[in-house]
Amino acid sequence: MTPLVNFRELEVGDMLPSVEKDPVTKTQLVRYAGASGDFNPLHTDDAVAQKAGLKGVIAQGLLIMGFVGQAITSWVPKHHLKRFQVRFKGMTFPGDTISVSATVTEKVSEGENFRIVCHTEAKDQNGEIKLSGQFEVLAPIDPS
Amino acid sequence: MADKSKVGVKLPIYLLEVERVKIRELMRAIGDDNPIFLDRSKAQAEGYPDTPCPPTYATLAFQEFTGAYLKILKMLDVPLERVLHGEEEYEYIGEIFPGDVLHCQMSCESIVEKKTRSGSLDLITLQTIFTNQKDQTVLKARSLIIERL
Repeated sequence: MTPLVNFRELEVGDMLPSVEKDPVTKTQLVRYAGASGDFNPLHTDDAVAQKAGLKGVIAQGLLIMGFVGQAITSWVPKHHLKRFQVRFKGMTFPGDTISVSATVTEKVSEGENFRIVCHTEAKDQNGEIKLSGQFEVLAPIDPS
Repeated sequence: MADKSKVGVKLPIYLLEVERVKIRELMRAIGDDNPIFLDRSKAQAEGYPDTPCPPTYATLAFQEFTGAYLKILKMLDVPLERVLHGEEEYEYIGEIFPGDVLHCQMSCESIVEKKTRSGSLDLITLQTIFTNQKDQTVLKARSLIIERL
């Protein structure tokens, strides 16, 4: 698979093409619980979530981080990704549609590579930020 | 309230075997069909010896399958019902492949008390170093756990 973005040519301020996810489903939260081992019932049992004062189950934060990871590895080869950090900011409910965006905030040459830092956000259909963070990419200056 | 005298405490090293089917399950749950993580021949065409793990794979090392978070929070006297996951960070040093056996070393890096308008918090930073069967450190993970006091 060819990465969509040529990181060598990016400059500070450039935005990466945003990645739109399908609406989050309850089934997906159950699948993610099984896949990740996060079996906190707040993510899978509406009755438990309602007892905790929520309208219903909420998505695992790491699922939303997984969406951002999917976006990053659609932009850049996995082995060029060196660091990925997020802060969880808001709850995601089934039916929410998450989109992932990123902007280049830093680009420096470092030996044979560019070190490129991007700010990233995952937002829902109302523009509410679910998580924000950053990632660092090392991209070879000479592509050959 | 977290026991600040225990900063630096470590869990005994535990093992995580990297299984192809668990990678596939994680990818399916995320809804990510990137063949690099799923199809060995596609990964090899891109220069990988096998399918690398996706960026958030390491989360499998922390919860139900190993009990690591539960064990270290118990050591720190932090009640589970008061905690939230605030931040997560991965530093990628090498790739992780199916069949790898990861030696996971989790420790408590710091505990910082923070006062906010809605009350006090303890910010607990847990670090986990992942070393593979060839003794190569491949990943460092950092989880910021927030305890509401």
